[in-house]
Amino acid sequence: MSTRFYNDDNPSKILLMLANLGSAVIFLLKILAHLGNLKLHQEDIFHQIWKITLHSLGIIALSGFFVGSIMAIQFSLQLKEFAALSLLGGLATSGTIRELGPLLIAFMLSGRVGAYTTSELGTMKVTDQIDAIRCLGADPIKEIIFPRFIGIICASFFLLIFGVFTSIFGGMTAAALLLQLSPQEYLREIPRFLNLYSILLSLFKVFVFSFCLAWISTYIGYHTEGGALGVGKNVVKTAALSLSVIVFADWVTSLVSESIQLLFS
Amino acid sequence: MMWQPFFTFFSFAKDCIADIFRPPFRTNLLFKEMELITYQSLPIVTLCLSFAATVTILESSFHMKMVIGDDALVPGFAAVLILREIGAIVTALLIVARAGAAMTAEIALKLITEQIDALKMIGIRPYQFLVAPKIVASSLGVAMLSMLVSIVALVVCGVASHIYLDLSPGLFLAAFHRFANFNDLFVSGFKGFIFGFTIPLICCFFGFQCRGGAEHVGKMTTRGVVMSSIVIIILDFLLSALISHLF
Repeated sequence: MSTRFYNDDNPSKILLMLANLGSAVIFLLKILAHLGNLKLHQEDIFHQIWKITLHSLGIIALSGFFVGSIMAIQFSLQLKEFAALSLLGGLATSGTIRELGPLLIAFMLSGRVGAYTTSELGTMKVTDQIDAIRCLGADPIKEIIFPRFIGIICASFFLLIFGVFTSIFGGMTAAALLLQLSPQEYLREIPRFLNLYSILLSLFKVFVFSFCLAWISTYIGYHTEGGALGVGKNVVKTAALSLSVIVFADWVTSLVSESIQLLFS
Repeated sequence: MMWQPFFTFFSFAKDCIADIFRPPFRTNLLFKEMELITYQSLPIVTLCLSFAATVTILESSFHMKMVIGDDALVPGFAAVLILREIGAIVTALLIVARAGAAMTAEIALKLITEQIDALKMIGIRPYQFLVAPKIVASSLGVAMLSMLVSIVALVVCGVASHIYLDLSPGLFLAAFHRFANFNDLFVSGFKGFIFGFTIPLICCFFGFQCRGGAEHVGKMTTRGVVMSSIVIIILDFLLSALISHLF
């Protein structure tokens, strides 16, 4: 990149971080500049969505199922003390949908989609395929990064929603098998606790997580250097960075939603 | 043969566990691995879990207001949730992404550059030299880390409930005492121990499965991270069910 001012002999760590952040923001703006011609890339984007969704549907279903059952068990411990086990369905579902479901499933997805994208783009970069595209007179960001970016956002969005729905099913199964709470009883309490606002918050969280995931994985993959070793290193970097950014984003969205709620009440 | 990978994995795990107890104990390697897992991951894990703790406080208060109409008991619920659930699983998933991915990449790179064959040539057992210190370091390290970080998250919980819910520290401690007890901390440590034991086994297994060139390293790293995350989530479910039945 052109912003090389931090690359002197003894760069301070904060300056380096700021420079990387700025570079990432410029990269994002470059991608978003192509938003106007979505229709042109329709086929590429659908191909990406198809590939990513098919790639990780099974894993997401499995993890969503178990996340739901974990939450049901944890909530049952506390509700048992109040002898209010009948409320379990509503509380566990609402808790999973609003907080832990999107978070844990996004963790899974960052291992799957994020690392996969980084290693794919990184391999393209270190084998000079991206330079080859530039040599042919095409813009690599437009041809390669943009369809992937939009594709990851859409696919992760669908996958996370799918995972959250599976988690309801998982909680129901765990309650039926381990706590002898019939599915009818479990499902009956859900409408009482789950309002439109919670679902909107969950969708918003899911969108923010998939946006962060797409941004980080494409940025790090596109800026890979140093051969196959660099690809491996960057895959690790993507996994670690996207997890911490997702947790941070979780906090920010919860805080924003809390203040919006206070505003309207 | 659908079950072949499982048999391969279990025979690998058996060999590795046997090699932990085989004499030349390499303590310097153990401490080096321990440093990567605990000391170098401490800042990021603490940061992430503190944010997760704050979110737990906010979300529990939302649900408590809905059920009881009062959020004085929120700290108790949130503390139990953090100690028994979030502390261990978030720590383990972060360690998978940070240290587990590095383990797979290290072993796969050593395998394709024939360093493992070189180890065998000079009479060192590769599992004992590479995998056994990782297993010991990670099971002790993740257990310690999840207990330590859970305590930090509880302090953050106190601060957050003071800021967002206007609960004074005294009220926080009172609600906290009603639900959580000291054993919950050991649940977190126990879960951390089990998770820490599985992470290097699975990650190193995928490292040793690497065939072909350098492109395969990235693929195996992805597969190792995904597989160990999903095994951790499933194990967490089994442990939660078991612990809730026993206590």
